[in-house]
Amino acid sequence: MRKLILAIAFVATTFGVAMSAQAQQGNPFPEGPGREIVAVACTQCHAPNAITQLRMNEAGWRNQIYDMVLRGAQIGPNDIDAATKYLATSFGPGVPFPNQQPVDVKLPDGAGKELVEGGCALCHGVDRVAATNRSKDQWEKIVNRMVFYGSPISGDQVTSIVTYLDQNFGVKQTAAK
Amino acid sequence: MKDLLKKYLDSGISRRQLMRGLSAVGVSGVAAKTLADSFAPTPAMAQAAAPGGTDGIREVKGNGGMLYMQQLKSAGVKYMFFNPSTGDAPFYDAAVDVPEIQLIKGIQEGAVVAMADGYARLSGNVGVAHIANVGLPNGMTQLVNSWKDQIPVLLTVAAFGTETAGRDYAQDYDHQEPMLQPITKWFWVAESTAGIADVTRRALKFATTPPSGPVFLSIPDDLLKAQATAQVYDKKLFSVPMRIRPDQKDTEAVAKMLIEAKNPLITVGDEVTMCQAEMEVLQLAELLGIPVAGQGGQGNWSKPFPTKHPLFIGAFVRNMRFPGPVDVHFNIGDQGAEKQMQGTTLISMRRDPTGLARAWPVNMPLVSDIKLGVADIITAVKAMATKEKLKQIADGRAGRAGEYSAGMAKLRQAMATDKDAGSGNSINMVRLGVELEKGLEKDTIYVSDCDSGRSMDPFLAWGGADKSYISTGPNILGWGVAAAMGAKLARPDRPVVSCVGDGSFMFGGPQPLWSQSRYKAPVTNIVVNNMSYNNERNRIWTFIAGQQFKTGKDMTCYNGSPDVNHAKASEAFGVEAEVVIEPGKIQDALGRAKRANIEGRPYLLDIHVDRAGVGAASEWYPPFSIADMRTRKV
Ligand code: HEC
Ligand code: HEC
Ligand SMILES: Cc1ncc(C[n+]2csc(CCOP(=O)(O)OP(=O)(O)O)c2C)c(N)n1
Ligand SMILES: [Mg+2]
Repeated sequence: MRKLILAIAFVATTFGVAMSAQAQQGNPFPEGPGREIVAVACTQCHAPNAITQLRMNEAGWRNQIYDMVLRGAQIGPNDIDAATKYLATSFGPGVPFPNQQPVDVKLPDGAGKELVEGGCALCHGVDRVAATNRSKDQWEKIVNRMVFYGSPISGDQVTSIVTYLDQNFGVKQTAAK
Repeated sequence: MKDLLKKYLDSGISRRQLMRGLSAVGVSGVAAKTLADSFAPTPAMAQAAAPGGTDGIREVKGNGGMLYMQQLKSAGVKYMFFNPSTGDAPFYDAAVDVPEIQLIKGIQEGAVVAMADGYARLSGNVGVAHIANVGLPNGMTQLVNSWKDQIPVLLTVAAFGTETAGRDYAQDYDHQEPMLQPITKWFWVAESTAGIADVTRRALKFATTPPSGPVFLSIPDDLLKAQATAQVYDKKLFSVPMRIRPDQKDTEAVAKMLIEAKNPLITVGDEVTMCQAEMEVLQLAELLGIPVAGQGGQGNWSKPFPTKHPLFIGAFVRNMRFPGPVDVHFNIGDQGAEKQMQGTTLISMRRDPTGLARAWPVNMPLVSDIKLGVADIITAVKAMATKEKLKQIADGRAGRAGEYSAGMAKLRQAMATDKDAGSGNSINMVRLGVELEKGLEKDTIYVSDCDSGRSMDPFLAWGGADKSYISTGPNILGWGVAAAMGAKLARPDRPVVSCVGDGSFMFGGPQPLWSQSRYKAPVTNIVVNNMSYNNERNRIWTFIAGQQFKTGKDMTCYNGSPDVNHAKASEAFGVEAEVVIEPGKIQDALGRAKRANIEGRPYLLDIHVDRAGVGAASEWYPPFSIADMRTRKV
């Protein structure tokens, strides 16, 4: 909690300066329609990294904007579509992370491996998939969430991926990594 | 109606006359009662000159415990929240013969202090709590809420006797009282029996004199047992009302700035609630059509401005997109909103001079009772411009604000529809907000200790003739259920609902339910159960974004496994309860809670809600088992 307060105080104190410094160093918000809304309305309480570290489609970002509006973000009905589109374009599935080295992870062979490589490496590396062993029920919940965020996989493929993840990163195989 | 309320506040008419007048102008019985309640003058405000002589002074004889209780009685204290230990016996022996003071027992010191705090917030009176010296640190956590929010609480303990203190006996530890220094206005150790009445009086004075706050008094147990004679005073002889108003020149200057401003903004905070200045702030905003922001998020514990009012534009943030670049910012009673915006003249009116201009530059600091100060500004504004002129200024400004707030309301409507459609058969915060707005009485006192609640609060109507919102500024959890008990005691004729996160509920534990049950406090308790420290995880993953975020390993925040059944815990304490899982069943459950309350019993709803934000789907926690460590099955 204290950290949050510090983070907010930091953003608040240095806001004016921070924006011009960002402009010099390469702004975290790329050009595009809607930028002027997001660059103001989404930096009033926290640093932009809350946003730039994520990748989601329109449904995911709209949901996020809703929650922020309820917390006080000033995005009205006339701005919400533009802000959503801007975020989904600038921070959507497949948009690379600048200055971030991809972590090399070799997935075990098996049915579903290609689906994971194709459907689960658009928004983060497969390292995040392979990092933690989980129960099957958990994999199902997480994969469905990723589909909501924009993982381009269909119903059958969800089942194959969940089976693959359960077999290779389930809780029965190994103790927690 | 405003005239009526004004007359009432100026003590021109009685409460009964006010209620009659309100119903004559078409205000319903319940709403009239609520209005009358919320505008009831605080005792400090109703101050009239005390006559001289010995009126209000009594001489009392007895042991130290009796002197303490008699001074409380003279000060008008009606309740003492407590948890006993052996050394305290003289207090409770005295209580046998002082029926004017009702004892309210709590079974954990945190609950005792939070009950006193909740009572103080809703009654405007000091909350008196007495706990065991060894349990003092238990109570201190909750006292931080009182300290940060300037709530008048008198906390006492019976300490080791004057002659044996310092010998390091089993429960003795040296100098416990300085522990309280950073979280009290004043702390003291009584030094003689005869002086107990005197230090008690001083403690009450310090606690209640604005800026109010908690005080701590330690009374050695031998002094409590010894006999003495002392004078006790009625409250009117030592309470300091601090009805300070700003210099007339200053109020005129503020009035002029607010009239002439191109794009003014008002921010409001808890001192408006403290000074019962809700009506004046509303009047000023309406008179000049100035948009009002603030009273949400961390640091605020109340919502004094009606949130459904067209002039209310939501949270105060820097570089506000609406109303755009502000030239005059009038902050009324909020520490957090005292922030400089570029090119803005910041006027800040505060009842607390220590908080004023503490962190940020303020162009025009004004120390004032908020009610009186704002009333003076209204008078000055009216004297400076004709009615027509003021209306012209107000209409232009209010039109823009109204358009903005109507847009945000429309968006919330869209969210409610969207989110319902997406929520399937589980309950999300938007749906819960919509259901509570539908199911709770308009005059509910809503005691909130729920982090996730911030995203449902905008779906409920607060302030004015709507629900009263009471929380804590610093968000020190484990407060809500106990505070709601204190609130119900202060306002038995208003519906009281506590709403706490599962994390918060477990910080306080079911213990406050014991008091609700014992004293038949008809409170509805809602546990917003996402089996997680949900927002804590959001903040950790979002703002820190370290290894936990990168690996998806939630090392700290998942509360499931065990999946606690709070309804069962509640029933163990004699409070009927149920678990609610489906959105379609919320109204019926609220109905059962309401019925129990009507019949005089508390109730608890353990409402399962979706986790939200980053990592919401994850139920992973570091696996670890002590049973597996064993080499012997014992
Ligand atoms: C009024 C303050 C405020 C504004 C303005 C704001 N945020 Fe946030 N944001 C927060 C807080 C507070 C959190 C941490 C959530 C918590 O406490 O649970 C957060 C968290 C987040 C997260 C992490 C996921 C989550 O929900 O925890 C994202 C992503 C985010 N914000 C995006 C945005 C975007 C996009 C905007 C602009 C539309 C925005 N924020 C504007 C206060 C704000
Ligand atoms: C459209 C973007 C996107 C795609 C595609 C995607 N993810 Fe994610 N993933 C995210 C985001 C954003 C997070 C950040 C945490 C969150 O919100 O849950 C995340 C986090 C995770 C986590 C950490 C645990 C958690 O709940 O946060 C796991 C595990 C994960 N993803 C697995 C997968 C798998 C498996 C797939 C393929 C089926 C996948 N992801 C595809 C966006 C994506
Ligand atoms: C007494 C206390 N201890 C720790 C914290 C730190 N903290 C802040 S929020 C939080 C989790 C709250 O969980 P819950 O009440 O379930 O709310 P949710 O975020 O899930 O809605 C914690 C532990 C605190 N605020 N108060
Ligand atoms: Mg929770």
